[in-house]
Amino acid sequence: MYYTSDFKVLLIPLLSDSVSAGFPSPADDYIEENIDLNEHLLRNPFSTFFLRVKGDSMINSGIYDKDLIIVDKSLTPKPGNIVIATIDGEFTVKRFSIKDDKLYLKAENHNYPDFNFEDYSDINIWGVVIYSIHKLT
Amino acid sequence: MKAIALIDGNNFYASCEQSINPALRKKPLVILSNNDGCIIARSPEARILGIKMGTPYFKEKEKLSKLGVIVLSSNYSLYGDMSKRLMNLLRKHCEKIEIYSIDEAFVSISRPKDNNLHVWARSLRSFIYQNLNITITIGIGENKVRAKLANKLAKEIDQSSGILDLSDLQNADDYFKRVKVESIWGIGDQTSKWLRSKGIKNAKEFKEMDTYEITKKIGIVGKRIQLELRGYKCLPIENIKKTKKEIRVSRSFGEPITKEEDLKQALAIYTIKASRKMRIQNLQTSTIIVFTRTSHYSNYNYQKSAYKNLIEPTNKTNIILKIVLELAKEIYNPEYKLAKAGVIMQKLTTYDYLQKSINTSFSEEKLLKEDNLIRTIDALNEKFDNKAITWCITKRKQNWRMNKNLLSGTSTTNLKGIPTIII
Repeated sequence: MYYTSDFKVLLIPLLSDSVSAGFPSPADDYIEENIDLNEHLLRNPFSTFFLRVKGDSMINSGIYDKDLIIVDKSLTPKPGNIVIATIDGEFTVKRFSIKDDKLYLKAENHNYPDFNFEDYSDINIWGVVIYSIHKLT
Repeated sequence: MKAIALIDGNNFYASCEQSINPALRKKPLVILSNNDGCIIARSPEARILGIKMGTPYFKEKEKLSKLGVIVLSSNYSLYGDMSKRLMNLLRKHCEKIEIYSIDEAFVSISRPKDNNLHVWARSLRSFIYQNLNITITIGIGENKVRAKLANKLAKEIDQSSGILDLSDLQNADDYFKRVKVESIWGIGDQTSKWLRSKGIKNAKEFKEMDTYEITKKIGIVGKRIQLELRGYKCLPIENIKKTKKEIRVSRSFGEPITKEEDLKQALAIYTIKASRKMRIQNLQTSTIIVFTRTSHYSNYNYQKSAYKNLIEPTNKTNIILKIVLELAKEIYNPEYKLAKAGVIMQKLTTYDYLQKSINTSFSEEKLLKEDNLIRTIDALNEKFDNKAITWCITKRKQNWRMNKNLLSGTSTTNLKGIPTIII
């Protein structure tokens, strides 16, 4: 991997062999390489950032309070993407959408308002959210 | 034809902070050096307010707060990570790259048929901005010296929008006149003074100066700089990482040190770091240097260093620590308030324990045992955030520790420090 020296790699063995002596394991020939979550989750490691979210405005899209989100800034945002945006100097996470040629940032919880780009002078998309990691236990 | 570009990140440290904290954008912001000593980076808004680079923080503190300037301690793990990202992204868009400093790189790129590199430069600039929110400046020339000069001009000329290709300029000499001799890449303080005394004030005059005179005074290095200014290519892009000549760990103290035991403790902590660095790079040292000095702002000036040459090169913390603590006695002076100290490991060679066992009286078994011990300690420390095993001397209260009172604490490399977004 070209980025292993730059990024910490988390290695999870796919198969492990604990036979200490005697016959060689019949599985030896089938042992594959470790799963490297970086390889699967970070397509563009040098453009990818991790952030933590707090709040419930995106619960209908599967992003919950305290989730860890992975953002790829190399991607150009498309309507329908969940994005990180900055509004008046603050980060937020919303769904990017276009309706009648107008740009919106929509919450995924009906208790929260949507943002119309026209209403803000300082509103920008920072990056596209590619994963949300939610702890279950 | 190949061109060379010098690319650097504008207000790099300030931009890194702003990149992952939008609340800092478009605000006057300054970054302080290690130990909150001097101002080492400014956002454009802070520059407009007339805040100067390099000024000691304590002198400007009141003015900064009156003007509402945000002040941050330097967060090198963030800047280092952003630098790594920047260089790797640049690599994708260039043929060769030589990383010159944390925020600068020389790159080589072939000119298209129409010679125009503006399309490339513009798309690279917007690409880097999209990916990192860092604005870069691109200076293009035939060689390194001219690329560096073009970069400087690009920053000074407003219409350039961060890109300047010297080969586009009709009247390059007029621009060369705007660049002071002090700003030519490779011309140091001493040389500039000499040049000024000869009436040479700017890059144009240096370019046209008698080559013999330059060579006589500053040697082949000076001649090369002049030749490059004239458009010849003398210095290649070096994309191979140079092997390190020395490993240095030094810091300013948060509080001046007057006690010998404090100096020893500080040096011990730096030694543990330096030895670990050597082991990571598989190096060993044969010359150990320690040094200390008073503050540049104090009226009493004292500085002293001491060194020891080793017969057996080593990278073992315990061996180096003993030597450093001996040397510490030589540089300690109770009459001065010490502001900084450091250790330097020199004459580095590649470490190989088998090779070593041939050259020394120690048995292979003993060396292997020692190696395993230190490797186990390193592994444990790696796993437990450098908190598992250390030397006793570091455990006493560290009164002199560096100030980083204003650290943003934001991180892109440690989950504990990543930004939290309220959604």
